[in-house]
Amino acid sequence: MKKILLTAAALALWACPARAELKIMTASTDLKYICERIGGAEVKVESLASGGQDLHMVEPRPSMVFKLKKADMVVRVGLDLDMWLDSLVNAARNKALFYGQPGYVDASAGVELLERPEGKVDASMGDIHIYGNPHYWLDPANAKVMAKNILAGLKRLAPEKAALFDANYEYFAAETDERLAAWGARAARFKGLKVVTYHGSWPYFARRFGLEVAGHVEPKPGIPPSASHLDGLVKKMTAENVKVILTESYYPRKGPDFLAAKIGAVVVTAPVSAGGAAGVKTYFDVFDRVIAGLEAAAGKK
Amino acid sequence: MKKIIALSLYFGLCCASAAQETGTPPQGMRGTPANLPDISLIGVIDGHTSSNKSDETRNMLQFSEVETAFQGYIYPEMKADVFLALHKHGEEYASEICEAKVSFLSLAGGLSAEVGKVNAEFGKLNKAHSHTRAMADQPAALTKFLGEHALNPQGAVLKYLLPLPFYAQVQAGAWQGNAHAHHVDGDLTADVLDVDQSTVTVVLAPAESEEFSPAGKIYTGRMNMSFPLSDGAELELGTSWLKGKGSHWEHHRDNINIAGADFTLKFWPSTYKRFTLQGEYLRLKRDIPVGELKRDGLYFLANYRQSKYWDFGARFDYAENAFPEITYERDYSLIATRHLTETTTLRAQYKHINLSGEKTDEAWFQLIFGLGPHSHELE
Repeated sequence: MKKILLTAAALALWACPARAELKIMTASTDLKYICERIGGAEVKVESLASGGQDLHMVEPRPSMVFKLKKADMVVRVGLDLDMWLDSLVNAARNKALFYGQPGYVDASAGVELLERPEGKVDASMGDIHIYGNPHYWLDPANAKVMAKNILAGLKRLAPEKAALFDANYEYFAAETDERLAAWGARAARFKGLKVVTYHGSWPYFARRFGLEVAGHVEPKPGIPPSASHLDGLVKKMTAENVKVILTESYYPRKGPDFLAAKIGAVVVTAPVSAGGAAGVKTYFDVFDRVIAGLEAAAGKK
Repeated sequence: MKKIIALSLYFGLCCASAAQETGTPPQGMRGTPANLPDISLIGVIDGHTSSNKSDETRNMLQFSEVETAFQGYIYPEMKADVFLALHKHGEEYASEICEAKVSFLSLAGGLSAEVGKVNAEFGKLNKAHSHTRAMADQPAALTKFLGEHALNPQGAVLKYLLPLPFYAQVQAGAWQGNAHAHHVDGDLTADVLDVDQSTVTVVLAPAESEEFSPAGKIYTGRMNMSFPLSDGAELELGTSWLKGKGSHWEHHRDNINIAGADFTLKFWPSTYKRFTLQGEYLRLKRDIPVGELKRDGLYFLANYRQSKYWDFGARFDYAENAFPEITYERDYSLIATRHLTETTTLRAQYKHINLSGEKTDEAWFQLIFGLGPHSHELE
């Protein structure tokens, strides 16, 4: 199957007339990786945020405006996670990238969202996202949804390359399915594992791989942990025998280390994006690393 | 200025019509989930103390500013931002339109424009609303040359991103600034003979007791460029120019020119850490009946964001006044800011002022809070 797809991709590439590559800017390194997989040699992709950055808090820079000005397509995480991108796109005055234009791709379109708040939403709930939890890319099954949105964007901009993009998508989707099966098998070893996470980044991952999130180091999204909250968490983790703390690589270790020292838990520091840790070069590497960390933690538990 | 506004509207409408013809691809969800503008409120509570016993705000805790904002798209590629403010002026609150502008995000030829009442982009800080600045006050040079609040005239500005291999933007604005309406007293005057041999009193020079800011027909220009030095460092350079009249022009017949240069150097050593060095230099030339005044002002700001929640800063100000009897102000400030959320901060600031040898110590405790989705363009 892979050979057929590769041959089809090669033929499609050969059949198409020469054309300048599409310049694509993405909000995250994961989206960059998926764009490169779907666009192949026809695209030149750059991510505005680095893999180690907190996507809630990317500081817009003038050099980003310059890059967006020259871009054919922008791909965003969406769901108001990367609101910093709006001022950049406006400042770049690149019509093709404005909301509703062919070069605007929101990778979240079509994702089944978790933790959608109901009723009144306000800052008493912390830094809440009104459409639901925006960390959807941490379920690798959603890679296919993201890739499909990117595929649609690429086909809008270069319809003559549609066959190539379709073939690349099929190959990417097939690889995602293969990897999902392998990760699922590994995750069976820690299915039902109770964890505390620093921020609410992991509900999609937890649903996919059978983790049970017992609480967060942050009392509410975006609110730093207080002593009383950590004290309460110590009691809860002790009562529920929670021995693993999963923390994003960019958050401070003080809170997780305090909890670990109090109850003898294991802290798993996890990258959330490609480039978020040494050796984590691709989107798929993120899951290899997190699952390996959880396997090790579950073994020690 | 009318021509600029008319051209902006024409280009805006042409481009907007073209945008409507484009098909809409599937989109994700963002922003306010109804056909409503983003509505927000920013509140600023200041506690202020000073060793100067004549300071009106000494030992006071007060609600110093409320800013409400209504923001949204009014047409494809056309955005409206209206910021209404209540400021504390002395003992009373005064309401004013802080900014009310329509932005044409993409005009023909790569231009963009803003029309309305706008914080003029002169230098690095004037554009920024006070609640977005990393300080409780504003540098003395801006207060002395651009006014107590931001230079905020009515008019239009055209912007253009230069086709260079790095970020470079030029802009030109034509504005009408309000003259100060209040009474002028204490001018330096002289009695002279008029053509009919009668004696008339003329103003020779303004006195220091009055406020100064640009007014009347104001023309501004700015060019700023940015150079990424590495993945974690960026240098921005800017130069600005302004031509206009003084805010008491009716009395003083003063034409003014202000030239400025600024730099901002930022390092991002890790996700939340950031080190910022920023400086602006301004030179004011003010033609008054008895000659030309040349005055200088500058500030340097160093700010270190130590974590997601804390940043610390230090600032040095130097500013001469805009009046014939020259004074020299040197200020030294220390600033600590705790960020609770993106729009809610707590700040403490200490400032030592040396105004031609007269020394004052001041301190602020400031709470800035935000309700609702509030945004400003890239600053």
